[in-house]
Amino acid sequence: MNRTLLIAIREFKAVVFTKGFVLGILLTPVMVLVGVLAVKLIPEAPEMKVKVALIDQSGAASDFARKRFGSEGAQAEAERVAAEMTKQIDQATGEMGLKGPAVDAAKSQVQSSAAMITGGAKSIALEVLDAGANVDELKNQVKNAQVGFGAPQLMAVVVVPKEAVSGPLVDGKWAEHQLFIHPKLDFQIASIINRRMGDAIVDARITSDPRFSGAQLSPEVVRATFARPDPTPQALGREGDKPSMGAVQMIVPFAMMILLMLSVMTGGQYLMTALVEEKSNRVMEVLLSAVSPMQLMTGKIIGMMCVALLILTIYGGAGIAGLIVANLVDLIETSKLIWLAIFFFCAFFTIASMMAAVGAAVNDIREAQTFLTPVMLTVMLPWLMVMPISRAPNSTFATVLSFVPVMNPFVSVIRLGGSEPVPNWQLAVSAVIGVLTALVTAWIAAKIFRIGVLMYGKPPNFTTLIRWVRIA
Amino acid sequence: MTEAAIRIDGVRKTFGPKVAVDGLSLVVPRGSLCGFIGPNGAGKTTTIRMIMSIIFPDTGSIQVLGKGSALESKDRIGYLPEERGLYKKMKVGAFLAYVAQLKGINASEASRRAASWLQRVELGGVINKRCEELSKGMQQKVQFIAAVLHEPELIILDEVFSGLDPMNRRLMRDLIDEQHRAGRTVIFSTHAMFEAEQLCDQIFMIHQGRKMLDGPLTDVLEQFDTRSLVVETQSDEGVQQLRNVEGVAEVITGTDRGADKRAVQVLLSEGENAQRVLARIASTVSVKRIEVRRVSLEEVFLEVVRRSGGGEVDERLLAGFAVSSGEGGES
Repeated sequence: MNRTLLIAIREFKAVVFTKGFVLGILLTPVMVLVGVLAVKLIPEAPEMKVKVALIDQSGAASDFARKRFGSEGAQAEAERVAAEMTKQIDQATGEMGLKGPAVDAAKSQVQSSAAMITGGAKSIALEVLDAGANVDELKNQVKNAQVGFGAPQLMAVVVVPKEAVSGPLVDGKWAEHQLFIHPKLDFQIASIINRRMGDAIVDARITSDPRFSGAQLSPEVVRATFARPDPTPQALGREGDKPSMGAVQMIVPFAMMILLMLSVMTGGQYLMTALVEEKSNRVMEVLLSAVSPMQLMTGKIIGMMCVALLILTIYGGAGIAGLIVANLVDLIETSKLIWLAIFFFCAFFTIASMMAAVGAAVNDIREAQTFLTPVMLTVMLPWLMVMPISRAPNSTFATVLSFVPVMNPFVSVIRLGGSEPVPNWQLAVSAVIGVLTALVTAWIAAKIFRIGVLMYGKPPNFTTLIRWVRIA
Repeated sequence: MTEAAIRIDGVRKTFGPKVAVDGLSLVVPRGSLCGFIGPNGAGKTTTIRMIMSIIFPDTGSIQVLGKGSALESKDRIGYLPEERGLYKKMKVGAFLAYVAQLKGINASEASRRAASWLQRVELGGVINKRCEELSKGMQQKVQFIAAVLHEPELIILDEVFSGLDPMNRRLMRDLIDEQHRAGRTVIFSTHAMFEAEQLCDQIFMIHQGRKMLDGPLTDVLEQFDTRSLVVETQSDEGVQQLRNVEGVAEVITGTDRGADKRAVQVLLSEGENAQRVLARIASTVSVKRIEVRRVSLEEVFLEVVRRSGGGEVDERLLAGFAVSSGEGGES
């Protein structure tokens, strides 16, 4: 059997047929899922029993405040929030063309969230005090409150000045109420108090203004009048009108970029660590007595390329399967997948060559860090620019970046997934640049590799590497 | 089989300012068993790596098995590097089969040979163990198998005896001898002078990158014959009497160790015949043991280093080896 191939097969087996690899490949998505779920499971409103004192100097807001803080008001609030969220879910799922049990599950989640808000509301007790109550004394009481889960403590004081309801307006604005809170009061409870008081004050303004009450305009009508319309944009497509993709559009460029980076970097990393290990446990010379350094390097790179391809296929396949399930498969086109494959090879050979050179040059992993930083930077840079590139894939910025060696495969992949089609000639130029970059990097890497694999002792620096390239 | 297995001609290799090998010329005859000796840092490993075409000389030429470089005959060479290692996570059998396949043996034959070789070196039970589970001595044996599994014509072993216990040293010696008897050319570098002396028919020594000794072992030893006797007297007075015997130039005492407490080295005067002096001593002094002293390779080694100004060698050490050579105690 061809020796390069023999080496490639061993390298592939040595990586893939390990518990570490199998678990790593399977566990990564599982952990992401767990992470997402964990965030969802954190309760939104903590169950802290809180007492709020209200000093209503306007005399008009306290009745509305009682209503807002009472169980009826909280119920109404919960329903309103639930309705708002359900609408958002409908909108988002409609955009994606989603339906079925997942959507129903999301809706029921919203109901329970709303119920939690109602529950939270019950734990906030409002106490209306005289307009002339001593504010400073109350503030002291709040300051000295013992935070705990026992009897409700006075945790906040709200002062509504007369001007907040009856004006006059200063610089076109109403005066605002004041909210003093205990430093440990949960920010969500503080914002609920603020929101309810704000609503109560607006209700008070509308009802106490004769222009509204005279025209028999209730606060509900007035509020509805001022609500800004927010229809869902309808994208015009060949297959008839359908809701715009919106944020979903970002999924594909992100996913393609992540896939490319994940597979290339994982393969590269394995290659480098394997080389460093072989060098440090001196298997290298045994191998070099049988094969040439070039065969060794080529074999290793091909082996690791298969590892990277495997990762790409597993995750990419899972992603496509997910899109099919979600009825979103028309987000990706076959031509894009072909381009992805082309850019994968460019990126992989470039990065793998660099990793091979680094792995061969250093004595241990720590020394490798110095050389890895620039490699990582060139890979990370396009990652930081995913947003601007994918939103305007044909901007001069994106176009020029897609011609810059080393990072061009990554940039091109983001452009491919972007909102506008990219001219084929530009992709072709980028691919040619990618191939040339890969060839040049491999050529340089081979030189460093040949000398580096048998060099032990003083850790090399960049000058040493350049010297090796020259003499090899 | 008169053709040279290796022919090195005027080879020089420098690493930066350091000259590792300087103007080295060597011929290793085919079918010979050559010991390659020299102090640490003499340039042995560098020379071997150049022979293997792992690194290349700055000037000079190296021919291996009649080809311009080892690259053209890699499959006909077996190599045990000094810096040795195995794939820690790989199973022993799989590792050996892999190395043999890289040397051009087909997969099934490689596995078969690996199994039978492991049996031979009493490692039959480890074939499915990971390499990292082996002791150092076991790893050494596995390495040796890796070097000879493809039945090469030329076997190069760098520091083959290091890290082995006496039993395994003997096993290794037998294995090397067996390869030699099968008609293969074997070169091994070593610091184990006893093994070298036991095994080699040819010896090369380099020091500070230059060749110091080259030729058949017997010739080399003869060259360094110190012309002396070893005498063990019955009593301390005997030692005094020795000094008065005709033909004795000097009596060196205190060179012995352990059981040979009274053994001394007797240096002969210029032009004296060893047999005649031996007879005179036997007739005048009461002795337990008397023999013509054979110089050991170890002494030759130390002497060469001393002559070439290798300041690291202690003179007392040199004297100490005078009687007590051949620690292995067998021949």
